[in-house]
Amino acid sequence: MNILVIEDEKKVALAIKKGLEFEHYEVELALTGEEGFFRLSLRPFDLVILDLMLPGRDGTEILRTLRKKDKGTPVLILTAKDALEDKILGLDLGADDYLVKPFAFPELTARIRALLRRGRGDQALKLGLADLEMDLVKRTVLRARQVIPLTAKEFELLEYLLRNSGHVVTRDMLARDVWKEMLRATPLDNVIDVHIGRLRRKVDDPFPPKLLHTVRGVGFVLSETAP
Amino acid sequence: MRLRPSSVRVRLTLWYTVILAGIVLALFLAVFFFVKTSLIRQLDREVESEFLAVSQSLAEEPNELSEFEADGAGRAFQVIEGNDVLFETPAFRQSGLRVADPARPTAARTVKSRAGARFRLKTGPAGPDLALTVAVTEEPVRRVLRTLLIIFMLALPVGLVLAALGGSIMAGRLLRPIDVMAARAEKISAESLSSRLPVEDPRDEFGRMANVINRMLSRLEEGFERLRRFTADASHELRTPLTVVQSVGEVALQENLDAAAYRDRIGSMLEDVARLSRLVDSLLTLTRADAGALALGRKEIDAAQLVAQAVEDMQPLAEEKRQDLNLSAEGPVPVQADEATLRLALVNLLDNAIKYTPAAGTIAVKLRIRDAETLIEVTDNGPGIPVEHAGRIFDRFYRVDQSRTGQAGGAGLGLAIAKWAVEANGGRIELENREAGGSTFRLVLPHIL
Repeated sequence: MNILVIEDEKKVALAIKKGLEFEHYEVELALTGEEGFFRLSLRPFDLVILDLMLPGRDGTEILRTLRKKDKGTPVLILTAKDALEDKILGLDLGADDYLVKPFAFPELTARIRALLRRGRGDQALKLGLADLEMDLVKRTVLRARQVIPLTAKEFELLEYLLRNSGHVVTRDMLARDVWKEMLRATPLDNVIDVHIGRLRRKVDDPFPPKLLHTVRGVGFVLSETAP
Repeated sequence: MRLRPSSVRVRLTLWYTVILAGIVLALFLAVFFFVKTSLIRQLDREVESEFLAVSQSLAEEPNELSEFEADGAGRAFQVIEGNDVLFETPAFRQSGLRVADPARPTAARTVKSRAGARFRLKTGPAGPDLALTVAVTEEPVRRVLRTLLIIFMLALPVGLVLAALGGSIMAGRLLRPIDVMAARAEKISAESLSSRLPVEDPRDEFGRMANVINRMLSRLEEGFERLRRFTADASHELRTPLTVVQSVGEVALQENLDAAAYRDRIGSMLEDVARLSRLVDSLLTLTRADAGALALGRKEIDAAQLVAQAVEDMQPLAEEKRQDLNLSAEGPVPVQADEATLRLALVNLLDNAIKYTPAAGTIAVKLRIRDAETLIEVTDNGPGIPVEHAGRIFDRFYRVDQSRTGQAGGAGLGLAIAKWAVEANGGRIELENREAGGSTFRLVLPHIL
């Protein structure tokens, strides 16, 4: 998977490159709009990460030009401007998703996974990790073949963790995707922590090994090995 | 008094003078014509009596006409018989008057002689075949009128100049408070917002204006003070997590730790970065709310559903503290609001109530309709808000218990955000302390029209 990152802040660009390479993506960097333009003309990419605020050639200009000849390549916009109009402008011009700076890295990788997965039928009816099984049709959860009763919210939370198993999910991601919270300022962190605690008591406490881990300062991950 | 020409003053004086000139002119014209008419009328009576006297002597002693000629009084008349001049006095002859139709009788009228002098003439029958024309010079009348005109022409400019000067002085004196106010206002800047404009008489227009400006200055001063406090508080709040990040990082660098321990340190730093990030999000929401830049998608939503959802979401937090969070709402209750911001307001209120109500306490959420308003009430049986804090509880960074900072107390932005969020939806927030203890926070939304 080839990803082009067009981002003028060098530190951010290098951090993204390193983080994505750790996730086994091939990453090319463009530190200016012109360079991004040039690299886009050389070869196709599976995905483009584009900063909207660039010196020289503006991100929207690159996006507009790219969309003229290539409609398929997913584009993920990074923007420091947390203004609704910018987002709408970006999506109008043909971006596929956006992320507002500062963003959590697990969120970036989750978005990339979602964009790369898109278009491929992902209609799993069952999810699972180790001896944890989830049936999305019957809406049941089994751990070590024992039925675990979950509330609707806990089920949704576990489903989200399972879909991202092996990857860290942040509280922001949970607030937006599980609690459908649009505004970052809504104080849901404590609510999320309580739900994670309950889920852990039901799913993990009676059954070794532990699957639901807390990554301090980042979020939570569902995996067989501790991070 | 300074003679600095101010345009209002010049305009006032100009208007004043022009109007005065108009009035004086009209008055003069009236006087002039009144004097003229009455003098002419008096002259006419003279003409009549002269006519009567002459025609009488003509009838009684027609041969004594020549006596008139000798009369030094300078009487001027002419007697016509048929078409021939029977007799005329030397004065009449000298005047060079020519009577157009001497036989036709007329009332008294003004006739101009060839020499340009004006006479009052009366022609009438004075016996068989005789026509008499009597003339009296208008010269004395003219002289009076001319004098009147000269007096007026001399007096008007002088009077107007005096009036203009007086008007200008008066206008200057009247407008002086404005000059004083302007000079004082010039010196007021962001640093000296506490000074006020002088109020000479609070009842007159200038006093009222000064008071209005002073009130505006008060509001500005308050705003500046709030801004200054906000900036100070914000930097303080930001500094705390920054200090933690810095010191944890610096200490970790000096230590020789294994990978797991380093990971733990980094995690600790990230926790505070998350706190910073959260704080910046809140501040950004509030500042953009101040700028009015937050685009709200207000539409008709069901408040009952929104309240039920928020209560359900926050229920686990209450359960953790063994609090009873109960809801009484019967729906649907349609309101006009932006769902996300209204939810933001309510969740912040609930978060606040759960945080400050002791374990095993009760929090009641009630949705009801009062008059033309929809009320969402969050009532707790906690310690309540001390009266001295009630006025400032919605201020940014304000905490009732100043010692409760950090994780436990939050940044003190929750209620400020709730207040903004409900106001952005056209509503307001109210705080009610209950006598039995505890307090009620009330979101008030206007009824759908």
